[in-house]
Amino acid sequence: MSATTQTPDEALAETGTAVVAPSPRSRSVWRWIGMPLFLLGIIAAIAIAINTKDIDSIEARSLGLQHILRATGEHLLLTVFSTVIVLAIAVPLGIALTRQWTRRFRGALITVANIGQAVPTIGLIALMAVAFNYIGFGASVIALVACAVLPVLRNTMVGIQGVDETVLEAGRGMGMSRGAVLRKLELPLAVPVILAGVRTALVINVGTATLAAYINAGGLGKIIIAGLSTNRILVTVTGAALTAVLALLVDYLAGVAEQLLRPKGL
Amino acid sequence: MRMHRTFRTALTAAAATLALAVAGCAGDTNVNQSGGDAAKGGSLAKDYDLKGESFVVGSKEFTENKVLGQITIAAIQAAGGKTEDKTGISGTATVRAALTSGEIDMYWDYTGTGWVNILGNTTTNLPPDLFKAVSDADKANKVTWIGPSPLNNSYGLAIKKDVAQKEKIKTMSDLAAYLNKNADKSTICAASEFLQRDDGLPGVEKAYGMQFKITELDFNLVYPQVGKDCTVGEITTTDGRVKANDLVALKDDKKFFVPYNAALTVRSEVADKSPDLAKMFKKIAEALDNEKMMELNGKVDIDGDKEADVAKEFLKDEGFIG
Repeated sequence: MSATTQTPDEALAETGTAVVAPSPRSRSVWRWIGMPLFLLGIIAAIAIAINTKDIDSIEARSLGLQHILRATGEHLLLTVFSTVIVLAIAVPLGIALTRQWTRRFRGALITVANIGQAVPTIGLIALMAVAFNYIGFGASVIALVACAVLPVLRNTMVGIQGVDETVLEAGRGMGMSRGAVLRKLELPLAVPVILAGVRTALVINVGTATLAAYINAGGLGKIIIAGLSTNRILVTVTGAALTAVLALLVDYLAGVAEQLLRPKGL
Repeated sequence: MRMHRTFRTALTAAAATLALAVAGCAGDTNVNQSGGDAAKGGSLAKDYDLKGESFVVGSKEFTENKVLGQITIAAIQAAGGKTEDKTGISGTATVRAALTSGEIDMYWDYTGTGWVNILGNTTTNLPPDLFKAVSDADKANKVTWIGPSPLNNSYGLAIKKDVAQKEKIKTMSDLAAYLNKNADKSTICAASEFLQRDDGLPGVEKAYGMQFKITELDFNLVYPQVGKDCTVGEITTTDGRVKANDLVALKDDKKFFVPYNAALTVRSEVADKSPDLAKMFKKIAEALDNEKMMELNGKVDIDGDKEADVAKEFLKDEGFIG
């Protein structure tokens, strides 16, 4: 994704035209707190809308603070849990698929991952319930994982394959073993691309976790569906806005992690 | 770059939410599915005359309402009228708006829906004759109600047949007594709307003095889950899947659920111009009851028959068409 793209700050530093730009310090402060402030603003707007409107019993049931907090917690748990599993599957698999010895089944495995992403999540969730009679948290996590494995897998492979061959040769020339080349050169250099894939998976999971409410796994989807099924626009919008806030927040935090985890000197 | 990424993130989240919304409310909107020959003969052709007239027929998006729409189309054709098929419109609010704006001329609705959702009343203090109250009040909106049908598609609770027989549970009061003794069995599978509405679960719990643990599912997933993850399931009383899944609908002995008797709602302008419509559809409405409707719904939902075929079969069985 943005692995090789410079941020405006870096670009400015290089071209040396920072004269007209605001001082780098204040700029970077806003870069870190701008998004959280924006999200707080949205939450405040929702809170004001709920508290100033005359709400009926149906809206009260869906928009109670307890209810919203519980749904948000369930949603986060679904997202984080499924993303961790995605990482545990996709990163090792992605590494393995760039090794010589997996060349034979590479095509087949990528096809399987592709199917997972091609099937709509709602279909997978229904399949879990109808075909396997399996509902709840576990079933939702399986469906979410199946749908988010591919971007992480593909980014891991692309990241590793994108490492400059001459760097690897230099490493081997210095007497590094294959494992050492992977650990010390290939993986660190691929980190930005892999993290971009993780970020994509997280955002996908926040969005699709809304569907888990159809099979008793809760989450913010519960609020959206309640609003849709009872024709209460305030409820639907609240659920949808909170989902978007969560997606932006998760993406923001992943961005921070990306900055911190990026190997120094790149 | 940062702006760009943020925008894309928001877009992804919005798209996912939109996908959910679409999945939730996009019905099957095939507009012209009443294929085959037009219905002919039978008592309708003999007793009524709609020659030279044409009507736009709508319906809501679920099986029963689509079957009722197809019955309407076949009946009008049998009486010599022309029809345009606009069945399968999603959501009560949308169909009703299509009717009052003149985009469609008629569709089947339900007394409870009319009283609460359309006319904006509450479920407490129901008038004794709900059909009369609704049709009188709706005259102001230039909508004529034709019926009512004994067919009452209300909410209900169902349990597995073998449990019902073993524990001798026939009514919802029996169920409350059973659950109060067996708290571990008190899980209910239900869809969001039933859980939110005052005339749904919150009201039932209060009226019968029972307390459920909730398993929230998409409505279509409720039927096969009863007897597995939950003892009790939310149903609608004319759904063919009640029988197909070996369930029994429990009697609402305290009459908590509002009656949802089906009736054909027609724009008054259209109804007044063709008095035969009211006479003819009053007869047809009277021939429909829960048993019959459950069978017709089952033919579509379980056997996979087309709504139009099921509708003609019904009219033929009742002697309305030849």
